[in-house]
Amino acid sequence: MKNNVIKHIILALVPLLISQLVFAQQRISGVVKNNIGDAIPFAGISIKSSGEGTKTDSAGKFSILTKATGKQILLVTSVGYKSLRKEITIADSAISLDLVMEPNAQSLNEVIISAGSFEASDKAKGASLTAMDAFTVAGNNADIALALRSLPGAQQIGEREGLFVRGGTGDETRQFIDGMLVKNPNYPAVPGLQQYARINPSLFSGILFSSGGYSALYGQAMSSALIMESVDLPDKSSGSFHVFSAGMGVGMQKLARNKKSSYGVSLSYNNQAWYNAVISQRVNYFSGPVYLGGDANFRIKTGKTGMLKFYTNWSTSDVGMRNPDIDSAALRSGYQVKGTNVYNNLSYRDYLNNDWKLDAGVAYSYNRVNIIQNLTDASGQIVNVPKEPFNSKNYHRLINTDFAQGRIVFTRMLPHNQALRFGGEHFYSKDHGMSNDTTIALTDNLTAAFAEGDIYLANNLAAKVGVRAEHSSLLSKWEIAPRASLAYRLPDGGQFNLAYGVFYQEPQNEYLYQTTDLNFSRAAHYVLNYTKKAHNRFFRVEAYYKKYHDLLKTDPAISTTGKGYARGIELFFRDKKSIKNLDYWISYTYLDTKRDYLNYPDEIKPTFAAPHTATAAIKKSFPEINTYLNISYAFATGRPYYNIRYNNPDKAYHIYDQGTTKGYNVINLQLAYLISLFKSWKQKPFSGVSIGVNNLLGTNQVFGYNYNADGSIKLPITLPAARYVYAGFFMSFGIDRTSDILDNNLN
Amino acid sequence: MKKLIISGLAIMLLFLSASAQQNSGALQSAVTKLDQAKTAKDYETLEKEFVKIAAAQPKDWLPNYYAAYCNAKIGFLLQDDGESIEPYSNRGEAQAKAAESLLDKNNQKKELSEVYTVISMLNQGRVFINPMTYGPKYGPIAQQFLNAAKQLNPDNPRAIYLAAWFKYNTPKMWGGDKALAKQLAAQSLKLLDNAEKGVTPHWGKTEDQELLNKYK
Repeated sequence: MKNNVIKHIILALVPLLISQLVFAQQRISGVVKNNIGDAIPFAGISIKSSGEGTKTDSAGKFSILTKATGKQILLVTSVGYKSLRKEITIADSAISLDLVMEPNAQSLNEVIISAGSFEASDKAKGASLTAMDAFTVAGNNADIALALRSLPGAQQIGEREGLFVRGGTGDETRQFIDGMLVKNPNYPAVPGLQQYARINPSLFSGILFSSGGYSALYGQAMSSALIMESVDLPDKSSGSFHVFSAGMGVGMQKLARNKKSSYGVSLSYNNQAWYNAVISQRVNYFSGPVYLGGDANFRIKTGKTGMLKFYTNWSTSDVGMRNPDIDSAALRSGYQVKGTNVYNNLSYRDYLNNDWKLDAGVAYSYNRVNIIQNLTDASGQIVNVPKEPFNSKNYHRLINTDFAQGRIVFTRMLPHNQALRFGGEHFYSKDHGMSNDTTIALTDNLTAAFAEGDIYLANNLAAKVGVRAEHSSLLSKWEIAPRASLAYRLPDGGQFNLAYGVFYQEPQNEYLYQTTDLNFSRAAHYVLNYTKKAHNRFFRVEAYYKKYHDLLKTDPAISTTGKGYARGIELFFRDKKSIKNLDYWISYTYLDTKRDYLNYPDEIKPTFAAPHTATAAIKKSFPEINTYLNISYAFATGRPYYNIRYNNPDKAYHIYDQGTTKGYNVINLQLAYLISLFKSWKQKPFSGVSIGVNNLLGTNQVFGYNYNADGSIKLPITLPAARYVYAGFFMSFGIDRTSDILDNNLN
Repeated sequence: MKKLIISGLAIMLLFLSASAQQNSGALQSAVTKLDQAKTAKDYETLEKEFVKIAAAQPKDWLPNYYAAYCNAKIGFLLQDDGESIEPYSNRGEAQAKAAESLLDKNNQKKELSEVYTVISMLNQGRVFINPMTYGPKYGPIAQQFLNAAKQLNPDNPRAIYLAAWFKYNTPKMWGGDKALAKQLAAQSLKLLDNAEKGVTPHWGKTEDQELLNKYK
């Protein structure tokens, strides 16, 4: 009975309690704007004592029901704005508030994750690099990869093309245009001689040079990715031509009247034979070197936000040389390579709505490399000597490669500049050809899926977390590569960055022709960096550790059992402020690396790695006399070299001789003088003359040594001539593209 | 009852005029301080003051104009600091647009000329961020607004000063002309001789003299 009474009392009290609760709730609503009156969406609003909170809608409006009463503190937060504390008194009526947030001066520059990467973009501010800054380094031969050697992390390799980054070979760096792989960025390789790039660097508005820990959106590059973004529409129609000591070119870009589409074509021809007739070379050429290339593009704005771009590039080359044979004074050894390459890239991007972005692309390339090696006697007759080492010196190889790629990336944009990206891509490649009398055929289907998120953990803390899965039909293996990076900004604008990632790469086709019973090679990167940009100066220091697994070994059998490591510290400093019209940057690279790969008998320092490298790029303009001076300087301590030979008795490779080359020391200089011609024309053309010298001081550079079969003779691998000199005239109409032409070093 | 209404209205009117006076007083005092401003810090402090006045006088174009001018001026003072300029350019542009929207395009040509001069300066400020990439984009925009400003009021001493600044700082190759710059600065200075003080735009004297001093 007693219990019943209590129960009744309680039951009677319940509605009362509820109504009490209801009555005690108060509505606080309002709108959050910035100091110039724009609504701030997704701002966080909370009551400090109770923790009750909400977020503003897309119009900056919010509404909270609260139980709190009396004096309370309302906290308003939003990325990019100073947190706001507002004292309110909650009484018995609803409160309506107009809140104004002040921008946070520091977070106007967002925390952008930058561990392991250098971004050169047309959006660059202050002392950050622009795409043009990157490729206007003196002596770059219009090759982005060469231009980027003035940045820390890259090795100064003079005897071949490509970027050797942080203990990685040139093959471990891959180039991408609008997300699509450029399989053969350079003309076919010639032993001991650097070859030109096929792609004109002035096509790009953004270049991301990653020397480690890059995004999950890219793969198949164990060391480094060079991610290039092509220009959308040109600002104006234009035309240009140039005539230089060893080559000439002509190009045009036409922008449609409605500024919604454009097209362009260019053609260039480069014949070093003309140049070599005047300036003698150490190398004796019987054909070329001659390079002919053309490209065409169209770009169309579709709808309000869509952009469709097509780029095609076609090129051929021929280099043939004949030099004394290292194994016999009576014989001469010939090497000729002829190449043809077609590259096509069609890309599309669009915003599907406010939240979704689509990036898609297809690429197709065809590459044909024809190599003929032969041994001739004094009269020029081909000789066959049927014994080692001469029997392998008459050689013919023809490889055709078809390569296609399809790629799609979806981006879901989230509040506070956060984003989720995911997508997939497929690479198809087919090699067919022959090596002497042996037929070569290799088909690979590589499929990848990836996802990545940009997460802003706080105003000054951002993370990028991603994962990439890859499957190769040739290796019939799956690999999963996690990637993560973190950026923390200090109140003074300095920033700490941290990155980790696993990177896979298929062994080169060279070895896959022989066996496909191999694994992906793998590298794990750990990167820590600190950057500070302020007042037209930029300082960066980065330390990293890199562990290699499953590197390709050729001995005792072709396998992926090699391993290695690389670690180092790099410094970069750029200053545009201290001296008027002077822009310079300096970099320093320390590298400690060892690897056991190919025929290395043990884990040793590879031949492409110098422990200390320093570079400087200097650009000075003299506007009063219309003159530009461009100097680059690079210094590297000696690189290791070895004579590794097969020893028949114990059936293994041994090091028979080793040493360190002398240091590398090069100064490149370029001078341009602008002239006014046809002043009376409505659109005055921009013209100029340019002269330049690579290896100004004529320093004898030694990149390594070639040994004869028994190791008794060693010959240095060096530059084909002490200096490379070029001079020429250029002219551009319409838009001022002078600096592009100047700095491309068209030679 | 009538009496009550009338006296009520009277009180309201009094109150309104007092607050209006107070507002214009605030603007005058800020403009007087602006005449003395020298460093980026000075202009930054004053910009905040103009923003407050703009909020209180939403119909008046002047507070927004002056706030934008402060931001433009900061851009010029920080020209060797690259990346730090951008937020000022963006704020300034929004304020200048706000000032422009308060003007009658047909009857307030002189005022519009002042606003366009400031927009031209703000775009030149963007060029300083990174001359190589921002120059080709924002340089022509700065030139367009300056031309528009000169067209609206050929005797605007501030537009003439800015034209002088451009002529002085552009290399000869791209159309710079130091002799013409001197002439323009002198012309601007002469026009400023009998400028009234008050709250209407009257800056430029110091800038002209600074430019002319470079010839000594």
